[in-house]
Amino acid sequence: MAAVQQTIEHVAEVERYKHGFVTDIDQEFAPKGLSEDIVRFISAKKHEPQWMLDWRLEAYRRWLVLDEPTWARVNFPRIDYQDSYYYAAPKQKAQLGSLDEVDPELLAVYAKLGIPLKEQEVLAGVKGAPKYAVDAVFDSVSVVTTFKKELAQVGVIFCSMSEAIRDHGDLVRQYLGSVVPVSDNYFACLNSAVFSDGSFVYVPPGVRCPMELSTYFRINAAESGQFERTLIIADKGSYVSYLEGCTAPMRDENQLHAAVVELVIMDDAEIKYSTVQNWYPGDKDGKGGIYNFVTKRADCRGDRAKVSWTQVETGSAITWKYPSCVLRGDGSSGEFYSIAITNNRQQADTGTKMIHLGANTRSRIIAKGISAGQSSSTYRGLVSAHPKAKGARNFTQCDSLLIGKHCAAHTTPYIEARNASAKFEHEATTTRLSDDQLFYAMQRGLSREEAVQLLVNGFVKDVLQELPMEFAVEAQKLVAISLEGSVG
Amino acid sequence: MSLARAITTGDLTQLPSRRDEDWRWSDLRGLIRVLPAPSPAHIGAGTPGPFAGLANREVVIVNGYGPAAIKVAAGETQTLALRFIAARDAGAHVARAAIEVDAGATLTLLESYEGEGTDYVVERDLAISVAKGARLERVIIAGDDQDAVSVSRADIDLSPGATLAQTVLTHGGKRQRLETHVAHPGAEASVRLDGVYVLGAKRHADLTTVVTHAGANGVTDQLTKGVVNGQARGVFQGRIVVSPGADQTDAKMGHHALVLSDRAEVDAKPELEIYADDVACAHGNTVGALDDESLFYARQRGIPEAEARAMLIGAFLGEVVDRIEHDGARGVARAWLAEQLGTRP
Repeated sequence: MAAVQQTIEHVAEVERYKHGFVTDIDQEFAPKGLSEDIVRFISAKKHEPQWMLDWRLEAYRRWLVLDEPTWARVNFPRIDYQDSYYYAAPKQKAQLGSLDEVDPELLAVYAKLGIPLKEQEVLAGVKGAPKYAVDAVFDSVSVVTTFKKELAQVGVIFCSMSEAIRDHGDLVRQYLGSVVPVSDNYFACLNSAVFSDGSFVYVPPGVRCPMELSTYFRINAAESGQFERTLIIADKGSYVSYLEGCTAPMRDENQLHAAVVELVIMDDAEIKYSTVQNWYPGDKDGKGGIYNFVTKRADCRGDRAKVSWTQVETGSAITWKYPSCVLRGDGSSGEFYSIAITNNRQQADTGTKMIHLGANTRSRIIAKGISAGQSSSTYRGLVSAHPKAKGARNFTQCDSLLIGKHCAAHTTPYIEARNASAKFEHEATTTRLSDDQLFYAMQRGLSREEAVQLLVNGFVKDVLQELPMEFAVEAQKLVAISLEGSVG
Repeated sequence: MSLARAITTGDLTQLPSRRDEDWRWSDLRGLIRVLPAPSPAHIGAGTPGPFAGLANREVVIVNGYGPAAIKVAAGETQTLALRFIAARDAGAHVARAAIEVDAGATLTLLESYEGEGTDYVVERDLAISVAKGARLERVIIAGDDQDAVSVSRADIDLSPGATLAQTVLTHGGKRQRLETHVAHPGAEASVRLDGVYVLGAKRHADLTTVVTHAGANGVTDQLTKGVVNGQARGVFQGRIVVSPGADQTDAKMGHHALVLSDRAEVDAKPELEIYADDVACAHGNTVGALDDESLFYARQRGIPEAEARAMLIGAFLGEVVDRIEHDGARGVARAWLAEQLGTRP
């Protein structure tokens, strides 16, 4: 009851989208449009080595001959790729010596978003609260990464991608594009050509990363796209938990966010990757909002490697995203826990791919979709077992909840079994909130709104449990806010 | 884009390919490099069909030649054997027929797809309308040759209060697609769509269904089960669409398959596409091997392994066959199943 009340109060205190502010900050842009020169511009701005520029140009040339895919169940007007800025960065004063030299306006942005960029702020928090390091990406560049020194002591590399290309070129060169090849798909290819920044993580063998790592993505500039690239490598026997958050200003235009995330997991290593996606979803008539076209893939290269994707998708006008697991190593396992909430005119086509290549690989998919307003939510997933994936096991559950007469929920699972010992189970349901349950809750004194919150929280509980503690509380509130006003 | 259009125009680019999302597991363009010559005309069949003796009326379409319109008058009850035969000299042809079941009538439609020839390429298109309160039970034995390519498509239009029950039994072909499209008005109409596939060697069968609920208060119940052995490939694609306003729809879909060989494959796509909120829709899908413990139990009791396997598989698939309402047809279906399992233990 207390939690419900807190949620209600929280809903009351925020506007519909509290991250919708724009920061007036001195920024520099690449000229509008996309060409080889823009690719060179981005590479030069980042002082990249020649091999990186060549890689980008190769990607750009391949992108030119690819066609934009149309198979997802989403509708939007054709994107004019020439009508956007591909590089936008806050102007910086020479090289930064310490956090104190970061533009105070930028710091204010993150303070407003509740992201601790000062290490002492994290430390000054509640006693016993877990520490987490942050890489803050603002439009096309990473502005600051915290706790780098402390992480370096145990050998963990956590920095922006631009820095990694400069300082850890060999590692980047070895792994970049090895999970999501340059021309994997249209948007990944575009990203490969123009990616600006993102996070790079390397956890050495046997190291359990001492704190949660997180990246916070912020789009600020108008008419720009954000193309970040994240690469995480967990070497043998290591462990890392990584969180990702994102917000953008409220604008009437649509902005493109096409990211690529690559995870490499070696023998006995584990990566836990959590996302709370809260891009601006557009207004209630569907005007504005972010197009979130993201390629995320984990490659379990070693035996007994483990990866777990947890996502809470509440934002974006359009979400098009399938975090995948390639289970290559024998005995490796993949998990996917997802909550996708759409309201008003949002559209989401999301799910996962579990590709079983090694023997005795296991995977688990729990996907919960909630549609309200006039929105549409699709679960699309693939589970496949290669002939060599003896003893592969999968369990999939996808449930959809419909709130209101004008929303839509779809389930499109693909199942491909190519050997006799694979065992796949899939179940899916689509229902609305149960009248009986609502009646029961209201009969005990809850208002309709409270009763709905309670039932919805119960519906998504399985997934919320998988989130790191501090994220779970945030996510629970986010679920409530996203559905605000949808109860008739 | 369809096989029928490719056959009638001779234009192979009209064939669906892997790049078409609905055909990704049943590629025709990559398979058919040259179309065989058009099938010559034939009248009548020389041999009895699999449902011989059960029907009070028989319609035979050989190499695409035969009666094109079948009508069951209002209130009438009929058991009709409809035989699509690809004769020994069959090449490429399209066979078409339309069936009208008038208000209040009851039709048991016993369909057989008989392949006397070998490497024929055919499409069979059926347009069926079931009027108000009428009942249609379709039992189909798709007996294509192992070198044959076929697409069989039925478009079934149901009126309020109509009942459709369907069971497809197949042992596949070189490439075989069995499509059923149902326009479901809701309105107390009810649909049962079942399928059984038993595939061995290099056979392929694709059971694709689309049920579109346009109005409120409709029921759909789907159950498909299959067994694949050798290098065979079984495909199940089921889609249930609930249109805006089709509230109180009760739809369930189940697909369960056994993979008996490491070179066999099962692909499934059970889809729900839902635009109304007051519905109860669910689907379940499982793919796995035969349960070792059940096998052990049977062998422990003195049943030889091969026999125990056939028995377990028979029980697994028998659940679908038992749902056939027409007694005679159910008997034929059971015999068909025993024959398939007997030859492929």
